Amino acid sequence: MIEFLDPTTEAATQTIAYAPRPTALAGKRVALVDNTKYNSDRLLAKIGDILKTEYGVAEWQMYRKHNASVPAHAEIIAAIEKTADVMVAGIGD
Amino acid sequence: MTLALVSKRYQATDELDAIEQCFAKGWSEGLPVVPPTEPRVRAMLEAAALEPQRQVGFIRDRAVSVTAEKVAINAVMAGCRPEYMPVVVAAVEAICDARFSYHGPSTSTGGAGMLLIVSGPIARELDVNCGDNLFGPGWRSNLTIGRAVRLVMRNVCGSIPGLLDRGTLGHPGKVSYVIAENETESPWAPLHVERGFRPEQSVVTVMAAESPHQVYNQLSSTAEGVLTTLADAMRISGNVMGQPHYCVVVAGEHMRTIAADGWDKKRIRHYLWEHTRNSHAHLKRTHRMSGALEAGDEAKQRALLASPDDILVVAAGGRAGSFSCFIPGWSSAKSSQAVSKEVRR
Repeated sequence: MIEFLDPTTEAATQTIAYAPRPTALAGKRVALVDNTKYNSDRLLAKIGDILKTEYGVAEWQMYRKHNASVPAHAEIIAAIEKTADVMVAGIGD
Repeated sequence: MTLALVSKRYQATDELDAIEQCFAKGWSEGLPVVPPTEPRVRAMLEAAALEPQRQVGFIRDRAVSVTAEKVAINAVMAGCRPEYMPVVVAAVEAICDARFSYHGPSTSTGGAGMLLIVSGPIARELDVNCGDNLFGPGWRSNLTIGRAVRLVMRNVCGSIPGLLDRGTLGHPGKVSYVIAENETESPWAPLHVERGFRPEQSVVTVMAAESPHQVYNQLSSTAEGVLTTLADAMRISGNVMGQPHYCVVVAGEHMRTIAADGWDKKRIRHYLWEHTRNSHAHLKRTHRMSGALEAGDEAKQRALLASPDDILVVAAGGRAGSFSCFIPGWSSAKSSQAVSKEVRR
């Protein structure tokens, strides 16, 4: 009989507090987070326009990350907190 | 100070049963592992003089803490000898360094391998291959050190192919990708000295990397001739628009030809940087750069690399044969920088 050790690390558990979700988008200000990949700005602008015409959002504004491989930097997170009610972020290839 | 090993323990009837259990639990990349028993894991920790719960690295974006105990367990599984452990630890420190930005190269569809370049005295002490079959089989240290890093990525950082590792193609270097520099025969300053370390220090440099591309030049007997061929092959390679790092491995015959003309690594880097530019017109015609062709695009040049310093020049490979190679880095040097860490013993 031999005994061997587990090479894996159990995921650390943490509680994440989500911002409350709006029940409707009408009149909301939308932040679009561009991950800098090709055409991501065009796709997001299209999404922003659809949110305006079909869902009645008040306005949208685009924010650009430093590059696709890093989280959004503190400055744009702070700006989004001040200027937006809703955010659309994602990663595209 | 606690010296206890805290990892969960499993029982097996014998070594083969333990190997099969490791496969079944998803702890292997596809090859049999050495069962990580406590004495084997302790020998690893002792060789690097590390307490088990010492944090070797922390990956911020993923909130993953990598402890010495887990590195040691995975190094045993990879088949490392205990004396390899300090090199594995330095490499894990490098991939956890914020400048390396682990989350990008480890998850990306770009499918990067972790190229480890070992330089300084430890490369020779551990017989890390720097010669014939540089990227090929035959050397335990090369194969198991890189494998240990990959197993840490899999088992500790969660970089499992098909889940958090979404490489579209990947490449064989994702199993192990370790080379050393041929400092004994090289006429140039070793990589680690160029990167700010002293010659007597041992250092691991990690670069997120695509596969090696071999370049032939069996004709020219001048530095400019050999490097013209190399630059021509490099010009359209890797993430052409991204301006990544490149590693250029200059092997025996080319090394001697280039050195005979008095060129050093700095001159090699500058020459390659200057001769790997592409015109905007070509980039647009080949659908690498967006937008319609405009007047002046034939003359407008885009550099393959943001800076000559983004090229890592390494003297390595067999003495015979007129070949060298280049290795495009993953994505862009802005997204993931090559990182060097001292091997501490």
